[in-house]
Amino acid sequence: MRFLGLASRNLKETYRDPLALGFLLAFPLLFMLLFGVVVGSETTPNFPIGIIDDDHTQVSQSFVNEALVEVDAFEVSTYDDATKAMKDLKFGDLKAYIVIPQGFSEQVIQSGQGDTANINLNITYDESDIMISDQIISIINAVTRDFADIEIPITINANPIHIETEITYIDFIAPGIIIFGLLIMIPTSARIIIHDKEKGMLSRLLTTPARPVDFIAGYSLCLIAIAIVQIIIFIAAAWGFGMDIVGSLWLAFLIYFLASLCSIGIGMVVASLTKTENQAEPLCWLFAMPLAILSGCWFSVEIMPSYMRNIAYAFPYAHAIDASRGVLIRGVGLEALSTDLLFLTGWAVVIFSIGIILFRRSMRS
Amino acid sequence: MHSNGAELAKASDDLAIQTSNLTKIFNSLVAVDDIELNIKRGELFALLGPNGAGKTTTINMLCCLLKPTGGTATIMGYDINQHPFKVKELIGVSPQETAISEHLNCWENLALIGRIHGMEARELRIRSQKLLETVGLDERAKEQVRKFSGGMKRRLNIMMALIHNPEVLFLDEPTLGLDPQARRAIWEYIVRLKGKKTILLTTHYMDEADFLADRIGIMDKGKIVALGTSTELKISVLKKHTIVIYAWNLTQKVIIEMRSKYDEVEVTNGTIVITDKRLDFKEIVDFLHASGAVVRSAYIKEPTLDDVFLHITGKELRE
Repeated sequence: MRFLGLASRNLKETYRDPLALGFLLAFPLLFMLLFGVVVGSETTPNFPIGIIDDDHTQVSQSFVNEALVEVDAFEVSTYDDATKAMKDLKFGDLKAYIVIPQGFSEQVIQSGQGDTANINLNITYDESDIMISDQIISIINAVTRDFADIEIPITINANPIHIETEITYIDFIAPGIIIFGLLIMIPTSARIIIHDKEKGMLSRLLTTPARPVDFIAGYSLCLIAIAIVQIIIFIAAAWGFGMDIVGSLWLAFLIYFLASLCSIGIGMVVASLTKTENQAEPLCWLFAMPLAILSGCWFSVEIMPSYMRNIAYAFPYAHAIDASRGVLIRGVGLEALSTDLLFLTGWAVVIFSIGIILFRRSMRS
Repeated sequence: MHSNGAELAKASDDLAIQTSNLTKIFNSLVAVDDIELNIKRGELFALLGPNGAGKTTTINMLCCLLKPTGGTATIMGYDINQHPFKVKELIGVSPQETAISEHLNCWENLALIGRIHGMEARELRIRSQKLLETVGLDERAKEQVRKFSGGMKRRLNIMMALIHNPEVLFLDEPTLGLDPQARRAIWEYIVRLKGKKTILLTTHYMDEADFLADRIGIMDKGKIVALGTSTELKISVLKKHTIVIYAWNLTQKVIIEMRSKYDEVEVTNGTIVITDKRLDFKEIVDFLHASGAVVRSAYIKEPTLDDVFLHITGKELRE
């Protein structure tokens, strides 16, 4: 049980260093606070949105009246034809208008029955303000998906709370910010290991009979403990800012846990490949920041070009964001997430294996 | 022939550290060049040499941190290439850079190494207490060590190499950068270990090697250029003797006369330094008295390891 000694030492080194510990928790919380204040409940953005209903069915009407109108961020007005809506958009009276095409109700019902049919909505929006149009599109996206789910005749009875669900911006953004917090585990993990390397502590420990797996386990246990505390604090903070938690908290926790394992693994690999903190730190941020943007921590992945999306989905974080949004916002269950969970688990296993191989190689040069 | 083989086996039984053709090359730099070393059990051996001579690289290979480019070594009969983890169980290493866990206290630092070596809690407690008392750290043992002075950290650094009672101890520059008082304290502790453990110590302080070591290997540019006890090394280079005399009433006549007698005579402020192949202490002092000078002090200057180093390599040990 050599690794337990190493793990307890690593933990003590971490929690007895208040500055480092503070940074670890404060940085993501600061982000959440900023988003919370900027888009929090008191200052919900108000986007004038036009709607043209070409479908004229009960489904499309309830989509407008029960789903779109209920979005706090939208001020919905209906139009008979697109010409008038376009005119208002040009004058700035509208930020966007949605055309609900004919056949919308069939698409909704089909997808509700498990078909993979697309639901088409035509959205025309003012491009000049990218942030706002991104937000509008992602809100409409979320609302529509949410709406399509409740229209399934079978699930209506199973999940009546969905009708109460209001998808606010914080609901949409919080799962991404939590993942951003867990992406910061990459530099954190690397820093803890590289610090020992730079100060000669790792060399000293390498002259003891501890094996590579003891070192990996010793560092991982400490980092996993940090990750668990972080996840709890982040979820609590997001809830404090008004995020609704619809699905299973345990499932959300599992998703975040797997994502943090991937971060720990990447951090270890970086630490094995570098010699000093000055090398490791920038390399980690080079991973973390683009991954945060690519994976959709702040913006929806949907707005990205498809090749970028492919890159994003090669990494675990976009999967984790999708899955956790599904659980927290829409109450998706385990079955629907099995692909994402498998992907996350696979990633964690592979990255840890690489970490052990690299560590073994760097043990004796 | 048979008895010869048995004798060889017995001879290697007495050896704690044995290297054969041990070599380390970094890119094109030959850091350690084909070293042959035999260190007996219970011996305190010092590798003495300037920075960059290859002392630390040698130690790092012996404690399985670096793979030799060529050759090998055995520690207590175990080959460092074939049984590195067996070797690691037997050794204690005090690295050149103070490597301690800054946010832990003394107890926790010692326990960290002790637990990896599989020590039991009770044994660990007793031994830690004893070690901390010996080096005078027991009163502040519960403080986080980042608050310690350089000397205290150094002492703990060495104790961490000793906690698991290893058979072979590597001390890489144990008193580097310490003030004379702190160095003295560490020396006294190392002296107490003599004979109980096999110790390989590296240093670039000649007085440290002189004071502590049973045998000294002088290292330069990756090679061991001289090997022996301190006295043996000094005798090997001792070709001239030096006498230093402090005297009053020295006249020019006396000095001229002495210059004619001896190879080198230097006079500064009443101090005469005489160097020659053969010097008779009594003869010189008597001569000075007879010439009316008053000899206040006179001594034979012993050669130092620095002289040995200078003689062998043609340069001073101190940079």
